[in-house]
Amino acid sequence: MGTMGRMSRLLAIALLAICLMAASAGDGAAAWSGSPRVTVELVSERDGVAPGKTFWIGLRQTIAPGWHTYWSNPGDSGEPPQIDWTLPTGFTASDISWPNPERIRLGPAMSYGYSNEVVLPIQLTAPANLVPGTQVTVAGRASWLVCEKECIPEEAPVSLSLPVVAGEPGLHPTGAPLIARARQAVPSPSPWPATFTATPETVTFAVAARGLVPDRISEVWFYPARWGAIDHAAAQQARVDARGITVEVARGQLPEATAAPIEGVLVLTERLDGGVVRQAFALRAAPAAATSGLALLRSVALALAGGILLNLMPCVLPILSVKALGLIQHAAGSARAMRRHGLAYSAGVLGSFAVVAGTLLALRAGGERIGWGFQLQSPLFVTLLAYLLFAMALALSGVFVIGARLSGVGQSLAARSGYGGSFFTGALAAVAATPCTAPFMGAAVGFAVTQPWTTGLLVFEALGLGLALPYLLLTLIPTWQRFLPRPGAWMKRLEELLAFPLYASVAWLVWVLSQQAGPTAVAAALGGLVLIGLAAWLFRISRHARATWRGAGLTAVAALVVGAVALGPLAGTAPARDPAQAAGGRAEAFSPRRLAELRAQGRPVFVNVTAAWCITCLVNERVALRSDAVTEAFARKGVVVLKADWTSRDAGIAEMLGSFGRSGVPLYLLYAPALSGRAAASAPAVLPQILTEGAVIDAVNRI
Amino acid sequence: MSEPSLSRRAFLASTGLAAFAGPSLARTGSAWAATAAKVGTPAPAFSAVATTGKTVSLADHAGKIVVLEWTNHECPYVRKHYETSNMQALQKEATAQGVIWLSIISSAPNEQGYVSASQADDLTKTRGAAPTAVLFDPTGVVGKMYGATNTPHMYVIDKAGVLQYAGAIDDKPTSRKSDVPGAQNYVRVALASVAAGQPVKTPITRAYGCTVKYA
Repeated sequence: MGTMGRMSRLLAIALLAICLMAASAGDGAAAWSGSPRVTVELVSERDGVAPGKTFWIGLRQTIAPGWHTYWSNPGDSGEPPQIDWTLPTGFTASDISWPNPERIRLGPAMSYGYSNEVVLPIQLTAPANLVPGTQVTVAGRASWLVCEKECIPEEAPVSLSLPVVAGEPGLHPTGAPLIARARQAVPSPSPWPATFTATPETVTFAVAARGLVPDRISEVWFYPARWGAIDHAAAQQARVDARGITVEVARGQLPEATAAPIEGVLVLTERLDGGVVRQAFALRAAPAAATSGLALLRSVALALAGGILLNLMPCVLPILSVKALGLIQHAAGSARAMRRHGLAYSAGVLGSFAVVAGTLLALRAGGERIGWGFQLQSPLFVTLLAYLLFAMALALSGVFVIGARLSGVGQSLAARSGYGGSFFTGALAAVAATPCTAPFMGAAVGFAVTQPWTTGLLVFEALGLGLALPYLLLTLIPTWQRFLPRPGAWMKRLEELLAFPLYASVAWLVWVLSQQAGPTAVAAALGGLVLIGLAAWLFRISRHARATWRGAGLTAVAALVVGAVALGPLAGTAPARDPAQAAGGRAEAFSPRRLAELRAQGRPVFVNVTAAWCITCLVNERVALRSDAVTEAFARKGVVVLKADWTSRDAGIAEMLGSFGRSGVPLYLLYAPALSGRAAASAPAVLPQILTEGAVIDAVNRI
Repeated sequence: MSEPSLSRRAFLASTGLAAFAGPSLARTGSAWAATAAKVGTPAPAFSAVATTGKTVSLADHAGKIVVLEWTNHECPYVRKHYETSNMQALQKEATAQGVIWLSIISSAPNEQGYVSASQADDLTKTRGAAPTAVLFDPTGVVGKMYGATNTPHMYVIDKAGVLQYAGAIDDKPTSRKSDVPGAQNYVRVALASVAAGQPVKTPITRAYGCTVKYA
């Protein structure tokens, strides 16, 4: 029991010290007291008290080397300091504003606390009826636990005398800087929303702190405000990227702790050129499911708007025009048939979106790094889409006729095949829409792919509903139909004319194929198109032939289509392109390493994430990026253009898109030259998805 | 995330067993090494040497309610409950009803709270304590298996061998003796529920006290 003897001797000395100090406590000065391990004193920010005013004081603990006191959540053991106040009449004291703690590991346990010195700030409010010229003394009994390996509960009286002054009291020469420093260490409310997801083993926090520079963050630690939700002692796996911060940690012992928001302090240690900065943020992480309600609503709204705008995109317009013609035809029919066509078309759009989105989400769940438009990264799909559009174009040109749907002006449209046709058109519109990204869509789709499949599918279906909506409303609200032109012979001409945007689409798809898979694929696809053409012709003549010939003809048509489709895989077997060659022109091919290199050299960088099958991208390039004014602006600022080509699958690019909350192209990033020590300057500006010359030049001028 | 920490624990436990424990800690099944105690699941089996020199196993007390008390007589929080006779009263109350009370010392040699068998018996006598046995866990294997971080750290195991309570002795996490009378004693409440075959209302609490002085 030697230690105990030593301890009580020390305690006696400390008590003696307390008495002496208390006796010598003077005007405006603090009395310090405590033990050989911890001395405590009250310090004041101000050298006087103004009636009715609020001011800061602090409990200062000076802690012997090797010992520590505790934070508000002491961790796996320990106890936070406490003050029992004896305040003059009318005074009130706030709770302690806890400066962010440090971690103290003892064996399998983790403590959160302070070493060397800590000032615990407290706000005092003076009553209004204080009389200037008098003296007030705030006093209390501070108690705390101090531990090295062993723990000792200690307590001591503390007091502080201050003169009452009229007007603004001055700053206390020693107290003010101490309290200022302490308050800097008190966590500020997090500027970023935070959520968490819990599994039976882990809790993962996601903090939407965008634009941090991962390289500069040397440490991230989440200090929970309370015991139970997470394992204090477990390692925390933190990841910082452009999307924000995620921290994964083993779950704590209290199962119900993850049913409510988890509060705590996120401490970021950032390496700056001038040294290391610790920043503490008070977080309140809500269970992810609860907050995604709002995010979901926003994404659904954005998707709906994006879907409506898709109708105007060049990939959808030809198909929609065909549909519009159909609508005029249907105007001759009953309102009920009309509604049914509208619903069938919408069902086609939604069904098609469900298939595409379901496939996308399923493949992503399987670990594929793909995004919106992924199906166009498959040469086979591009080939088949070209066949389909070509067949449609041939039908519009009158090479063959599918039922009476497209050419039978004025005929009754009650036929079942009419509804099937509407469904088919809807499905086709959805497929054709894929290469286009409308405004608002990027964020919604980017959100959708990161969600559980039900939520993701809901967002995609909102997009589909948006696409279907204009036509659907037109069929559902008969009064709107008055604005449509009257049917007539002009429709036949228009229909034939509309074949040409479709032929153009086919030409474009073949070009995409040439970018994706090279000349062999193009040859195969063109051969396939010839077979489709032949099949279409055979289909027409066999319809008017005798029954025996008709059977043979249809068999031949089927054989030709199968032959064309069989050529598809041949397209897919061509070797992948050399990315450097693919970039072409003045742009360099993008790679994360090249981007880092250029940025290290202090060069401004423009990253163009694009794909040959992305019409929006091509339009942007033509209209904005290759204009003389933009070229001149890039040259003036020495901007290096990096082109990230997503025509074919590329996990690296998919990941980069993901880091900006996107799942599809286009994405335009402008990195300002890295300034020394400025984190904000290092995050790129994200340019709009529909570029204008002016927008690009403005952004370049700002760097 | 929990995978590495579990396997680390398993690793510690198994190396601890192999290196130090020798005959004092018998291997009592493969599950214990990897599985830390979890309320609502079977309490991990263990064996440890008592002050009597005999090896005591949890399995020896199958069919009985068992209380585990991690202790360190020098810890101010342990002293709070012994110097107010709070702990002894609970021990007597419990053992009188047939509860097995095992006080476990996981302090490593040369650490606070580490005592010889005779010192431990002296402490029991002088403090008027009434545990069924006082066990030594100098390698910390049992303590870490149960995730004991504090002294006192309390566990209640029901007659079926299922862990029903883990955490603090009461709801006043201080070292002040004056807090004992007004406190709600979680262990007493848990024992009453377990004896009545009812679920424990507050089965998990934050233990408070000193850290266990593991090696």
